[in-house]
Amino acid sequence: MDRLKLYAILGALALFGIPIGAPAHAQTFPTKPVTLIVPWPAGGSSDLALRAFADAAQKHLGQQIIIENRPGASGTLGPAQMAATSKPDGYTIAQMPITVFRLPYMTKTTFDPTKDFTYVAGLTGYTFGVVVQSKSPWKTFKELIDYAKANPGKIKYGTPGTGTSLHIGMEQIAKQAGVRWTQVPFKGAAETNAALLGGHVDAVADSTGWRALVDSGDFRLLATWGGARTKNWPDVPTLTELGIPLVANSPYGIAGPKGMDPKVVQILHDAFAKAVREPVYLEALRKFDQELAYLNTADYEKHAAEQIEEAKRLVADLGLKTN
Amino acid sequence: MDLIDNLSLGFGVALQPINLLYCFLGVFIGTLVGVLPGIGPVAAMSLLLPVTFTITPEAGIIMLAGIYYGSMYGGSTTAILVNIPGEAASVVTTLDGHQMARQGRAGPALGIAAIGSFIAGTLAIVGLMLIAPTLARFAVKFGPAEYFSLMVLGLSILTYLSHGSLLKALIMACFGLILGLVGLDSISAVARLTFDRMELVDGVGLVPIVMGLFGIAEILINLEQRLTREMFAERIKGLLPSRQDWAESAAPLARGSVLGFILGILPGGGAVIASFLSYALEKRVSKTPEKFGKGAIAGVAGPEAANNAAAGSGFIPLLTLGIPPNVVMALLLGAFIVHNVQPGPLLMVQNPNLFWGIVASMYIGNIMLLILNLPLIGLWVQVLKVPYRILFPLILLFCIIGVYSIANAVFDIYVMIAFGVLGYLMRKLGYELAPLVLAFVLGPLMENNLRKALILSDGSFSIFLERPISLACLILALVLLGSAVLPALRARRETIALETS
Repeated sequence: MDRLKLYAILGALALFGIPIGAPAHAQTFPTKPVTLIVPWPAGGSSDLALRAFADAAQKHLGQQIIIENRPGASGTLGPAQMAATSKPDGYTIAQMPITVFRLPYMTKTTFDPTKDFTYVAGLTGYTFGVVVQSKSPWKTFKELIDYAKANPGKIKYGTPGTGTSLHIGMEQIAKQAGVRWTQVPFKGAAETNAALLGGHVDAVADSTGWRALVDSGDFRLLATWGGARTKNWPDVPTLTELGIPLVANSPYGIAGPKGMDPKVVQILHDAFAKAVREPVYLEALRKFDQELAYLNTADYEKHAAEQIEEAKRLVADLGLKTN
Repeated sequence: MDLIDNLSLGFGVALQPINLLYCFLGVFIGTLVGVLPGIGPVAAMSLLLPVTFTITPEAGIIMLAGIYYGSMYGGSTTAILVNIPGEAASVVTTLDGHQMARQGRAGPALGIAAIGSFIAGTLAIVGLMLIAPTLARFAVKFGPAEYFSLMVLGLSILTYLSHGSLLKALIMACFGLILGLVGLDSISAVARLTFDRMELVDGVGLVPIVMGLFGIAEILINLEQRLTREMFAERIKGLLPSRQDWAESAAPLARGSVLGFILGILPGGGAVIASFLSYALEKRVSKTPEKFGKGAIAGVAGPEAANNAAAGSGFIPLLTLGIPPNVVMALLLGAFIVHNVQPGPLLMVQNPNLFWGIVASMYIGNIMLLILNLPLIGLWVQVLKVPYRILFPLILLFCIIGVYSIANAVFDIYVMIAFGVLGYLMRKLGYELAPLVLAFVLGPLMENNLRKALILSDGSFSIFLERPISLACLILALVLLGSAVLPALRARRETIALETS
C-alpha cells in the first residue's frame, strides 16, 4: 500500500516535471558536498563571514560546504547564474544580498527574485552608520539635520555607490526630516574614508569601513541604522531613538534555485539554524560588525517578498529606474 | 632614537625563523605568480588567505605582503622574454624589454628589472618607515578635482606611448575609453553598453583584456613566424647590465621610484598607472627618445622601479589610515581583520610588533627576491630556447587558468579570446595596444572624478582651477601636450612650405 502510494506520488511528480530523484534524495540528503555561491570576491568581509558560516554549518549538515566566489553585477551575478543553470537539488545554494531584490527594478536582469529562487533561511545584516569629521561642528545627528534644514543642498555626503542601501537610506532620512542634501557616490569604504578625511565631503554613510578612524578619534559616529544599538559603539544612538523610523541593515540570507524539495530545504535550514548559534560564526560576525538576523524558511520567504515590494517602491520613489 | 628602537623591534619579529620562512614562501609564490601570465597576485592571495587563518597574524601578513611585492618582480620576466605581461603592471615593460631580448640582451633587461625593483622596493620601505603617517594625511588632500586633473595629465602622455602614427594611437585610446564605459555608470548606476548581459554589469575586466591583447595575440603573431625566434635566442650577449647600461638606467630608476612611490599612495592610482607615467616621463626627458620602443634600457628601468615603488607605498594608506588604495590592499585588510587586528591610525600604537615586523620583513623580502632573481636570470634566458610548440600551449593554459581564477567566470575567458583575436588584427594593421590599456584604466576614473567634482562644486568648472594641485596638473598636461604636438606641427608647416615654394 505504502509502496503504491509512493509510485503514485512519483508519477505525479514526473507529470509536473519535477525530477523523480528528488524524494529519494531528500531522505539521504546530502550525500556529497554542497556548494555555496558567494557573489563577492574572496577575502572581503562578506566572503570571510560566509566562510565562517560554512565552517559552522557543515558540522550540522554532515557534508562539506564548498565556497565558490562568483563576484559581479553588485552581488547578483552569482545568484543569477545559479537560477539559470543549477539543479534545484540542494547541492548548489547562494548568498542573497539585498541587491538581488533591488537590481531587477533598476536595470534589466536575467532573474526575477519573486519566482526564481527557493528561499532557505535569513542569516545576518550589516552595521551602517553616519560619520563626520571629529573637528566638524556637528556633535549629534540632530545638529547635522538642523544644519541641512537651514542650508538646503549644502551638505554633501559620501556613499559607497548610487542605489546602495546607504544612498537609499540617506534619501529616506532626508524625506522624513524634510531636508535636502546631496549624494556623492564613491566606490567602497576606502574612497569614502579618504574623501571625508580630506574634507571633500561633509559626512559619510557607510558600513563599518570607518571603524578604524572612528576608534582613533578622527571621525565621529553620529548614528547607527540597526534595530538596536551596536555592541562595539554602545553610546551611539540608533535612528529610531532619534525619532527617525528607519531600520536599515541590508539583511541577507541563503537561497537555492526555484523548485527545491521542501524536505531538502528543511534539512539545510535545520543545519543553518544550528550554525548561526556556533561561537565560530558569532565571533566572525563580531569581527566584521554584522548582526545576527536569523529567519526561518517561512519568515525569510515573507521577508524576501516584503523586501522586493519595498525595493520596487524605493527605486521608483528615488528615480533610480533606468529602463 | 625611536626609529632604531622600532626597527630593532621589527627585525626581532621578522627574523624569527617561522616568519623568515613565511616571508620566503610569500616572495617565492609572488615571483611565480608574477612570472605566470594571467595569474596575478590577487588570485594567489585570495587562494592563500584561508591558509593564514591558522598561523600568527605576523606570519600571515608577512607572507601575503611578500606575494604582492614578489609578483611585481616576477611580472617583468614574462614581459621581457615572451612579450606577454606577467601581470597588468608590466604592460609597459613589454615595449622595450622584449625588444632588448630580441637583440640578445634579455640578460641585462632582466638584470636591470630585478636590481631596479630591489632599489625601488627598498626606497619605498624607507619612505614607508620615515614619513608614512604624514604622507598618508597629505594623500587624502587629493579629492575628485585633483584626481580628474591628474588623470588628464595621465592621458596627455598618450602621445609618448606610441612610436608610430599618432592618429592610430588616438583611435586606440578612444576604443579604450569606450571599453571603460561598459557597465553600470559609477555615478547614477545607469547600465551602459551592457547589451543586457549581466556579466557586463560590472564592466569588462582589465586582466582578461590585457591577457587577450598581449598574451593570446602574441601567440597568434608568433605562430606565423616560425624561424626568427631560434635566431634571436642564439645570440644572447651577457647576463648582467653593463657599465653603459647602468649609466643609462640610474636616473630613470631614481625618477621611477619617486613617481611610483607618490602614485602608489593615492587611492585608485597604483602600479599600473605609475609604470605608464614613468615610461612617458623617461621618453620625454630622454636625449634619444627615438630609441624608445626599440630596446631602450631606460624604458625598462623606469617603469619597473615605478611599479615596485608603488607596490611598497600602497601599504602606507592601509597601515596608517586603514584605507586600502587598491584591490590587493583590500584583501590584506580582510586578512588583518580575520586576525583581529584593525589597520588604521592606531595600528602603530596598539600593535607595534606587527607594524614594524611587517616593515622589517619587507626589507628582508626584497633582499630574498634579489638573491632569488639574479641567479634565475640565466635560467630564465634559457626559456627563450624552449620550442614554441611546448611554450605556447603552456602559456595558453596559464592564461586561461589565470583569467578564470579571478572571478571563476568562463565569460572572462571568452573576453580574453575575443581580445586576443582583436589584438592580433590590430598588431597586423600597425595599431599599438598600450594607448588602449592606458585609456581603459584612466577613462572610468576620469569620468567618475569629473562628475564627483562637479557634484561637489554644484556644477561649477572653476573647481579645477581654484585648487592648486589640480591647477598644477592641468598646466603640466598642457605643457606636455604642447611640447609633443608643436614640433610635429612645425615640421608639417615646413614641409607644406617647402611643397608650395
